[in-house]
Amino acid sequence: MCGISAVFAYRPEAPPVDRDEVAAITQRMFPRGPDAGGTWFSENGRVGLGSRRLAIIDLSPDGIQPMTDTSGNFVIVFNGEIYNHRDLRKRLERNGATFRTHSDTEVLLEMFKHDGPSMVDLLRGMYAFAIWDKRAERMFVARDPYGIKPLYIADDGRTVRIASQVKALLAGGKISRAADPAGVAGFFVTGSVPEPFTTYAAIHAVEAGNCFFIDRDGPANAFCHYSIANIYRRAHLQQEPVATLVEPATLLREFVTESLAYHLFADVPVGAFLSAGIDSTTLVALMTAERHEPPRTITLSFEEFRGREQDEAPLASRFAAEIGAPHTSRIVTREEFLADMPRFFDQMDQPTIDGTNTWFVSKAAAEQGLKVAISGLGGDELFGSYPSFRELPRIVRLARVPLATRILRNPKAKSIARYGQNLAGAYLVKRGLFMPEELHSVLPEDVAREGLQRLDIAQRIRNVIDVDPGTDFGRIATLESALYMRNQLLRDTDWASMAHSLEVRTPLVDAFLLRQLAPLLIVGGSKTKDYFAASARPPLPDYLRNRRKTGFSVPLKEWLDLPPDGTTTRMRSWARHVFERVGR
Amino acid sequence: MKILLLCTDAYGGHGGIALFNRELISALAELPECEQIVVVPRVIVHEREPIPDHVQFVFAAARGRFSYMRALMGVLRETRFDLVICGHVNLLPLARLTGQAPLLITHGIEAWKPLRDPLSNRLIHHVRGVVSVSALTRDRFLSWSHFAGETFVLPNAIRADRYGVRSKNVDLVARYKTFGKRVLLTLGRIVAAERYKGFDEVLEVLPELDPNIVYMIAGHGSDVDRLARKAADLGVVDRTIFTGFIEEREKADLYNLADVYVMPSRGEGFGFVFLEAMACGVPVIASCHDGGREALLAGELGTLVDPSNLAAIRVAIADALQHGKRQIPDGLAFFAFERFSERVHEIVRRVSADGRQLR
Repeated sequence: MCGISAVFAYRPEAPPVDRDEVAAITQRMFPRGPDAGGTWFSENGRVGLGSRRLAIIDLSPDGIQPMTDTSGNFVIVFNGEIYNHRDLRKRLERNGATFRTHSDTEVLLEMFKHDGPSMVDLLRGMYAFAIWDKRAERMFVARDPYGIKPLYIADDGRTVRIASQVKALLAGGKISRAADPAGVAGFFVTGSVPEPFTTYAAIHAVEAGNCFFIDRDGPANAFCHYSIANIYRRAHLQQEPVATLVEPATLLREFVTESLAYHLFADVPVGAFLSAGIDSTTLVALMTAERHEPPRTITLSFEEFRGREQDEAPLASRFAAEIGAPHTSRIVTREEFLADMPRFFDQMDQPTIDGTNTWFVSKAAAEQGLKVAISGLGGDELFGSYPSFRELPRIVRLARVPLATRILRNPKAKSIARYGQNLAGAYLVKRGLFMPEELHSVLPEDVAREGLQRLDIAQRIRNVIDVDPGTDFGRIATLESALYMRNQLLRDTDWASMAHSLEVRTPLVDAFLLRQLAPLLIVGGSKTKDYFAASARPPLPDYLRNRRKTGFSVPLKEWLDLPPDGTTTRMRSWARHVFERVGR
Repeated sequence: MKILLLCTDAYGGHGGIALFNRELISALAELPECEQIVVVPRVIVHEREPIPDHVQFVFAAARGRFSYMRALMGVLRETRFDLVICGHVNLLPLARLTGQAPLLITHGIEAWKPLRDPLSNRLIHHVRGVVSVSALTRDRFLSWSHFAGETFVLPNAIRADRYGVRSKNVDLVARYKTFGKRVLLTLGRIVAAERYKGFDEVLEVLPELDPNIVYMIAGHGSDVDRLARKAADLGVVDRTIFTGFIEEREKADLYNLADVYVMPSRGEGFGFVFLEAMACGVPVIASCHDGGREALLAGELGTLVDPSNLAAIRVAIADALQHGKRQIPDGLAFFAFERFSERVHEIVRRVSADGRQLR
């Protein structure tokens, strides 16, 4: 886990790479990698690479980046973890490769030499990396299928700059800070900035599951190496009886345990976030079975939630005690929140209405000496347990009944009539923070207009399921995974955990796991969550299985005395608050 | 010791279960303390193989359901058995007629989820022990049945002397037009219910492999037409060979025709075909998510792939073609008949010492 940077002056007329700029970009990511850092510059001064390292696998200095291969022709900077690197290493060794280190970084280097860009098809993990190929004078850039690890790019037509954070790129001092209305509008419409936009016109996200080369002509067209929609579509079209060969709970236990086994590989202790929900408790139960001992677990607790159903701490503590896990129930107070806010907003890379929960649970984990924690993130998208899986088809049906929406009191009723004719539009209604036509209340008229035009949010959502996943379950799972999870949950988890030098691993957000489970998910639909709960040995206790889903929330409304905004959570007010501090 | 084996098929049977039963009977016949073995088969479809000397094979049982019961009752009237072996979960209700707790054998998918017959689901808790052809099958069986008794893993046996590395049979090369080609082979029943074998996945990666590589799908069944259409849709119809039914006597030559045996399956209880291919020195690619994993000793004897990962299948094939050696792996001795026989004897002695009557 690291922060990486790359600067490539690809046009002859571009000035050579400024070493101070690379150093400044890299240094801005210090919390992402406090264990070591380094830079590398090509002899001709056209390429600079930088890295901050959080040592998790191969703690020796051998794993330090930027890393050069034995021939001296390939140099890599890499952020993330390749969980199947030992399998890949064995294969490369059978094919004649030799290794100097035990790190996954070196495996990536050798794979690129052996397989070229098709290497990405074999990687199980979370990653963003850039490999400089000296002989071909080009750089290969790739990002993981789900976008767990971030990567941003700024191309001025002569020089391309890449980094793990937007704020790091800005710290180099050579990129315009002019705002991008599309990114700003996207934040208010969705609560996070949708890829590929950022709030800066000069900076874009490298989209999840994409890879591309950069040569003397600049960045080539990216090619997408993984499509969630395609996975569901294939499972739907195959109509294979695979999913029914084995008991669903057994199949889930086997595949999730396999994913966990890969995600647990580390040379440092691995803990776990624990709530009272099915996903984290089942994962902790499976981890305990896999490792024959329970992991250290962390739960957040808030005075404001005491005695209410949002308070997950008592049940989480009870479960931890039952399985014998060393457990921390960390109380977060309003005073602590207010004291942390300046650092919180400084570390928030792009404006978002989420991330507070992950910030504090990561802080608590780091206080316990953990460098790595397992999270149940992604379970709702995988097992179809968000309300959206039930409600989106209802919204579509409602929108198709003439005049039906006029009698609704819901503030989004008009939007249902306008957008809800299909699942993508219904998704906008369901997940939208401000509807597009409401943006004039938070942004200047011209910014809102230009932003919405370029953002084209309705079309952007439709594009996600342009390849039809085949079933409503597949469509909604794809929308949730490729939009909400990618742009909000995963991005927030990255910056909020990295702020505390904690690596969060998400075994349920795994490209291999989705391929394995897709046939079962298509057949089982939202019942799969029950199967998952039953997959633990022994099965989860009833007090967890029968608990109503609440979500992992933080009492922001109470802490900040947010003004009423028409929502129960007052997220619209919080969005304005965030934008004042991060978006401008 | 007198042993009764109720089985679906054995001598005159076709396929993996029949073969397993024949080897089991041979192993039982070598057990010094065994004085009599009576085998009651459900079906006989082919010409019978030679039957060991002191094995009584009840032909009359294979004429139908009532004949089976009648034959079984007749056997039970004549002999009191020390051990009853139930060769398939579907025969559990009939095994109950013996009045003894049988030793149950599970072969694969039939035991991976609850049985359709509620009576059988109850009867599994009254068996003397459960023998599974793989740890995977045992674990999947235990996960739903919660069987609390003793379990044993008894992998299939291979008689390597019946196979061996041979040069390509010129008649087969001519018949299948594989001269100068590199051949991928999968052998199995080609029916919709067994799509889990991975024919589709290999076909799907074929367009990305060297054009000189052909895919031979050996076996017969009702799903051939669909696969042929798929091959046409993928543009590899001229690189796909459907052999039809393969005679047992041609199998060794067929394996020797292959450069790689590939079966990225999801439903093999064990995967005897992998042992056969390895016994012919053919590099093998199996699945890491079914019993094939154990046939390859967790990857020691060949390459394991995730059957849902087409890229991994493609790379494994390319690597096997580039680096695979035509040699019989030393580790195949783990599955030699002698080892199988030892395991059978150990299991029989163990359960006999712990014998009990049916509750």
